Amino acid sequence: MKRKCQDYESRLPDNTAMKQQQLPAFRLQLSANEILSGFFAIGLFCLGMGIILLLSAKSIREVEINYTAKCATCAKLREDATNFDKECNCSISFYLPQKMEGNVYLYYKLYGFYQNLYRYILSRSNIQLVGTDVKDVRNCAPFKTSDNGLPIAPCGAIANSMFNDTIVLLYNFNSSTHIRVPMVRTETAWWTDKYVKFQNPTFQNLSSAFAGTAKPPNWPKPVYELDEKDPGNNGFVNDDFIVWMRTAAFPNFKKLYRRLHRIGNFTEGLPAGSYSFIINYNFPVGRFQGQKAVVLSTLTWSGGSSLFLALAYLVTGAVTLLASFSMMAVHLKLKERKTFFLQ
Amino acid sequence: MEKNERPAAGESRGAAQPRGSWRWPKKLSSHLRPEAPLKLSRLSPVIKSKPVALMFQVLNKYVLTAPTSTDLCMSHYEPTLWFLWTCLLLWGLSEVEEKMGWRQSLQGADVPMARTIYLNEPLRNTFCKNSISTAKYSMWSFLPRYLYLQFSKTANAFFLFITILQQIPEVSPTGKYTTLVPLLVILVISGVKEIVEDYKRHMADKLVNSKNTIVLRQNAWQVIPWKEVNVGDIVKATNGQFLPADMVLISSSEPQATCFVATSNLDGETNLKIRQALSETATMKTEKQLSSLSGKIKCEEPNFHFNSFMGTLYLKEKSPISIGPDQVLLRGTQLKNTEWILGVVVYTGFETKFMQNAVKSPLKRSKVEKVTNMQILVLFLLLLVMSLVSCVGAIYWKDRYRAEPWYLGKKDYHSFGFDLLVFIILYHNLIPISLLVTLEIVKYIQALFINWDEDMHFKGNNVYAMARTSNLNEELGQVEYLFSDKTGTLTCNIMTFKKCSIAGIMYGQSPCFISDAYEFNDPALLQNFKNDHPTKEYIKEFLTLLCVCHTVVPEREGNNISYQASSPDEAALVKGAKKLGFVFTARMPNSVTIEAMGEELTFEILNVLEFSSNRKRMSIIVRTPEGQLRLYCKGADSVIYERLSEKSLFVEETLVHLENFAREGLRTLCVAYIDLTEIEYKQWLVMYKKASRAVRDRIQSLEDCYDSIEKKFLLLGATAIEDRLQARVPETITSLLKANIKIWVLTGDKQETAINIAYSCKLLSGQMPRIQLNTNSLEATQQVINQNCQDLGALLGKENDLALIIDGKTLKHALHVEVRKCFLNLALSCRTVLCCRLSPLQKAEIVDVVKKQVKAITLAIGDGANDVGMIQTAHVGVGISGNEGMLATNNSDYAIAQFSYLEKLLLVHGAWNYFRVTKCILYCFYKNVVLYIIELWFAIVNGFSGQIIFERWCISLYNVIFTSLPPFTLGIFERCCSQESLLRYPQLYRISQTGDIFNIKVLWIQCINAVVHSFILFWLPAKMLEHDVVLQSGYTTDYLFLGNFVYTYVVVTVCLKAGLETMSWNKFTHLAIWGSIMIWLGFFAVYSSLWPTIPVAPEMTGQGNMALVCPHFWLGFFIVPIVCLIQNVAWKSIRNTCHRTLLEEVREMESSGVQVLRRDSSQRSKVEEVNLQRSVSPRPCQVVFRNNSVDLGAPRRLFAQVAGDPGCSGNLGARSVRRCARCGAGRGRAGRSSARSESAGVRVGWSPGWFTESRRVLPVREANATSEGRKQAFRGAPEVQARGAPRQPHPVPAPEKPPKFAAPWTLFTNLGPSSPTGLVRDAGPAGPRTAGEQVLGGRLRGAETEVGAGVCTGVCAARACEFAREEKRPETPSGIACPRTQGWVSRSRARLFRGGPSSRLFCAGTRSWAC
Repeated sequence: MKRKCQDYESRLPDNTAMKQQQLPAFRLQLSANEILSGFFAIGLFCLGMGIILLLSAKSIREVEINYTAKCATCAKLREDATNFDKECNCSISFYLPQKMEGNVYLYYKLYGFYQNLYRYILSRSNIQLVGTDVKDVRNCAPFKTSDNGLPIAPCGAIANSMFNDTIVLLYNFNSSTHIRVPMVRTETAWWTDKYVKFQNPTFQNLSSAFAGTAKPPNWPKPVYELDEKDPGNNGFVNDDFIVWMRTAAFPNFKKLYRRLHRIGNFTEGLPAGSYSFIINYNFPVGRFQGQKAVVLSTLTWSGGSSLFLALAYLVTGAVTLLASFSMMAVHLKLKERKTFFLQ
Repeated sequence: MEKNERPAAGESRGAAQPRGSWRWPKKLSSHLRPEAPLKLSRLSPVIKSKPVALMFQVLNKYVLTAPTSTDLCMSHYEPTLWFLWTCLLLWGLSEVEEKMGWRQSLQGADVPMARTIYLNEPLRNTFCKNSISTAKYSMWSFLPRYLYLQFSKTANAFFLFITILQQIPEVSPTGKYTTLVPLLVILVISGVKEIVEDYKRHMADKLVNSKNTIVLRQNAWQVIPWKEVNVGDIVKATNGQFLPADMVLISSSEPQATCFVATSNLDGETNLKIRQALSETATMKTEKQLSSLSGKIKCEEPNFHFNSFMGTLYLKEKSPISIGPDQVLLRGTQLKNTEWILGVVVYTGFETKFMQNAVKSPLKRSKVEKVTNMQILVLFLLLLVMSLVSCVGAIYWKDRYRAEPWYLGKKDYHSFGFDLLVFIILYHNLIPISLLVTLEIVKYIQALFINWDEDMHFKGNNVYAMARTSNLNEELGQVEYLFSDKTGTLTCNIMTFKKCSIAGIMYGQSPCFISDAYEFNDPALLQNFKNDHPTKEYIKEFLTLLCVCHTVVPEREGNNISYQASSPDEAALVKGAKKLGFVFTARMPNSVTIEAMGEELTFEILNVLEFSSNRKRMSIIVRTPEGQLRLYCKGADSVIYERLSEKSLFVEETLVHLENFAREGLRTLCVAYIDLTEIEYKQWLVMYKKASRAVRDRIQSLEDCYDSIEKKFLLLGATAIEDRLQARVPETITSLLKANIKIWVLTGDKQETAINIAYSCKLLSGQMPRIQLNTNSLEATQQVINQNCQDLGALLGKENDLALIIDGKTLKHALHVEVRKCFLNLALSCRTVLCCRLSPLQKAEIVDVVKKQVKAITLAIGDGANDVGMIQTAHVGVGISGNEGMLATNNSDYAIAQFSYLEKLLLVHGAWNYFRVTKCILYCFYKNVVLYIIELWFAIVNGFSGQIIFERWCISLYNVIFTSLPPFTLGIFERCCSQESLLRYPQLYRISQTGDIFNIKVLWIQCINAVVHSFILFWLPAKMLEHDVVLQSGYTTDYLFLGNFVYTYVVVTVCLKAGLETMSWNKFTHLAIWGSIMIWLGFFAVYSSLWPTIPVAPEMTGQGNMALVCPHFWLGFFIVPIVCLIQNVAWKSIRNTCHRTLLEEVREMESSGVQVLRRDSSQRSKVEEVNLQRSVSPRPCQVVFRNNSVDLGAPRRLFAQVAGDPGCSGNLGARSVRRCARCGAGRGRAGRSSARSESAGVRVGWSPGWFTESRRVLPVREANATSEGRKQAFRGAPEVQARGAPRQPHPVPAPEKPPKFAAPWTLFTNLGPSSPTGLVRDAGPAGPRTAGEQVLGGRLRGAETEVGAGVCTGVCAARACEFAREEKRPETPSGIACPRTQGWVSRSRARLFRGGPSSRLFCAGTRSWAC
């Protein structure tokens, strides 16, 4: 128990505020002034921010067309898997009352498709996709190998279920002239995905790089034929493929399909007028009670058209202000009685 | 038995057993610590055979050959079985852990089995080695043992279980190693801590084992290290050396083969002890003699009793000789004042008494820890519920989609059990993995803070406070019952000889002139001696007795003689005699030499009849220089008086003196002698020899034998020794009482002394009614207790301003099964309980009973060996590291140097630690629930598939890195308010004491809060991202993008929440909160660019780049935490308004700039401050006091000192007969003002400026009225007490018929200022009631009050008079007939039974508003 003298001596100098628990500290004492002014500030800021967000969201033009019902015949055809080789096209026309200015993005949207299922997300091989080992299919169950035992490239449930409708937008300049709206099919995926996460195996020839692998069972053609015109968009680095591989968080999701190529008539964006989508209907959704839609949208600084964030800010601001007003009222009332509210 | 044992320290040491010979009372060990031996015996089978082994077999079979193929674990039954097995494992481990917690090496001492040691036959002595290892682990045993200990903690075992589950392919959504790694990190951290601690022990052991000693081997002396010493070796030790093993002394360099040893290592006693070899072996000194020695020693098996040893030496061709503790030298003792000794080793290594004693005290667990375990269980249930809900959800989802969607490929279903496991793994982090290790570190640092505290550093002997265990830190904040020893704990245990009474004449100055420093100083004594006063011979005999009758060892240094005594009383007496010219100069084994007034006298000591707590006396038989056989005895008055001869003189006078001494709080001893005739002595000697050789019950037969000669004493006189109170004891006690800690004093001392000490340390106050229980039989005890309970009526069970005083004899009956409950009810209704003349066993027993009955946290504080029992029994044991040795300290959980440090230990450290630990725990729960409930929300979106929303390593690092710092700062640096405030307002202690801020309810609130937060934290970002494109260039996002949003917001919210919980932010808090957020953001950026360079987290690739530039991310970064936390802030504000706690008020006051003096500078003004604070003190004012069932008197000397005791100020309004106003000037209300100040007093008393001026807050008139009323009442009071003053007719005539339940205080208001005396000093804020009680007290106690003087007024006074009238006490100067108040009290008790309820007085006050 008794500590030695030297010990004591050596202890003396570092008898610090820290050891004596006397460190200077700011005490979190919420006084009425602080709370009320804080509430006011937060409330006002949120209201302001909400209004800004609301305005900017309002400036967005968006067109969404659900084509599951509109292409009912095609949908019915696709219910039966045996009809996989039968083509089915479907045309949907719509009228754009106002022009869409600036960059216009074309999305496809799926309803009721659970890209976030545990075993679905698990079923991919990142090692394969990064190009180091095309035959690595470890986690890809149940789409590891084809019937003849060859490893599937790209393997797994995600790749296998890739969205494969083709959507073409026609601008009906007049009743006879249909201009195909120019669309860019690249740069729809994240930069890191395109250049880091997805890489083709390094081979002279893409098809030989994938030699010894099989195409996913649902795919009509192997991966190295996804975009034969553009080698930079072929194989694993195909933008459509990459976009699909980034699995969505919700069962209803949209994915970027094309960007408007702003040339000719479309330098400013999409002019108002009549348009039609020509859809090559391949992707079956009826079997999981899903739906498909196609979306045209512009963007602002903060992104898309959803009002939610704006509303969240507005509501928070309003509630906070209300709360602060009522608290102030009580405070003032109690102050008269010399009992303090909110110290 | 043993000469050097602590002899007749006398009565004053009371029930204190001789310190050395402390032993666990048999009854106690079976009664109080059933776990120790019991558990041990149950332990081994558990380890060896039972379910544990079974489980390990199962594990071996299934874990080690775990199914690796996918198909196997997909089977339907497998997961369920897994689950069952692991549950079984958990259960088994927790069972084992229960048992592991207890001491392992406690030996049953009741089975004396002989061991035989053959002299000079080393091969036949095969006993344990002398090398010791106190380390927990060895190099090889570390890993298995450590892992075993770790996994026997339920939480760790749970995570092990999860880790094992994760190894099943596909079952784990979070990967295989995400639990394993944090678990390993945590295990490594605590492993390192263990290794460091164990390394120190190893080094210490090594040092000890390699010490050198000299041993006789092959007929020659050899130097060997300690560890090679064997049983049977003959060891030679020289002066100053420590002894390597327990041995029997053969011979020594000193005459008569004696030697001196210092035993401070063992028991902390600083005096030297004499050991003496048997005369048969004393001559064996040469190698030759020793080598030719043959024979054997038979002795008892190793045990842990320092001062018992039973052995027999069988030498060839000689009769067996018994060996006692006198011949035994123990390992760890140091040889002193002796050139060399020779000894034969009997116990080595772990079997030495030193090592046998070095067992850890039983593991205590704090209440918070228990609650936490409970709460973890709650979380586990929550986890199960969530998993089940998710499973049901999964079934529902599958049902809805009828079949699995085509994009999942083949249809394979998982069984329900499999799904359950998936979800258990998914949510398992609800249970905070880092909680245990966080708490361990936090508590370790808290303990360091206690060790470092300069305020608890006693400069006197340079001792710091020491936390010997860190797992009770927060328990210090919850103490409700404090059991304190008296001697050495409340008092200094530095004895000074103050007074004496010789031959009926009292010497020593009167109390008022005694200055504390002075010892006995009365020239009258020496004058009487020199002037041939008739009592000269008595004086001489008296002083001679003081010089001779003791076991003190003198140490000469030049001309100075210092005395080494095992009991401070003895030293005080010897020193006192020395001052008076009777100097004790030398002690030989068979004689003592004294210098009586310059004349050297040698007394031959024939026998020492040593002290024991049973005997309460010690005697010594000497042959005087004149050749006369004489027995000197000193001891407690009770035992001496029983044995006085009829011829003895001065009996009455001495009795009166004794009574006076006791009233002054002095420790008294009676001294007496008897001359023996040779025949008488010889007869007795035969008996003695027979008794000392008794095999069975030797102690008992010795005592009987002693008893037979200790009779027909002639009384010489009495001594009085003062044991001063320690510094600041009264202040500390006042403080602790205000903190709602009930203080029970458990002492071995006499009732009068105890009461006096209780008065002087403000435990009792003058106006506090006392209930004294002194009975002799069970029936009487039962009757008295029942009567008192009945009298209390409705107030039973509530806290009343009463004191209960009980002695050991009565307590024995009171703790009898039938009476126990009633007694406890009574005792718990009293504010103060004083138990006198208790044995150590009783001390422990009473603590145990209260602990079990009340379920409150108990703390026992003591300094001596006799307190060990209660220290170990209480929830928290505090040892005073003072003069009494180390035994108490070694068995305590906290050691402090002074009683007054208890104030800081409890009020500051305890309260702080409680706040810290509970906040830390709740916060850990909160943060885990917040994060992992989100998985449940996400499961709703993803069809209950078990997908995680976050990256798997982020999940595991959440507890280890990103939110690991805030719990630490909360646990280490949080301060609810400054220590000055905590000390100033002990009421704050009640917050932690009641435990309201940490219980299951609080946990649920916290959990609900966390669920709400997690709801916001998930759904806000989810809705933000659900339908929208948030990235520039129209990019779409994925699930992990959402996950990272949510995760970031969680980290921010959780860190800020910690900030909100933190009441005082220091630099570390800032570092932890902002640092954690920055660490996560930095980690996020780096971690998302690792793939594929470093093959981790492919799914994180690019997330950082995209998220950190996304406007939505930052918009959410702002709004989401605000939405979460603003409710908390609002809720806090509302709560503080509607129900403002004392804590808030104090904090407010602190921050509103009231100058808080630094503690050091305010020390001096402390007393004034205390007085000032009293007015703030919400005293429990419910007082019942009873006509004559209670003793209302304070001892006379102390009457005047009871100043400033915060009584309840009187409430004179008839309306509030039963109410006693709150105390204190500030809020005191006198008379009619009560109603008004009731509202004003409560609130206003706390307003910031209150300190400076109380009038500011009280209407002037009221304040004046208060103080005026008080003064008046006081002026009236003392005179009525008539203490020593001639009685006068009382100005107020007695009413004809005292009304039932009349307002008693109206009586005193009439007393008016007419009374002239100013005897009583201003009694502080105590109001008229105080006065009233004093009147009553004076009536009851003041013997000079003449009966029937016509002064009786009102009920109380009438009662008092009646009482006094009936009392008819014999007139003695002190007014008390018998020094043993028993008779007196029991008579008054008898009247109580007759008294009936008509004479009841109630003063039920309102309870404090503050806490």
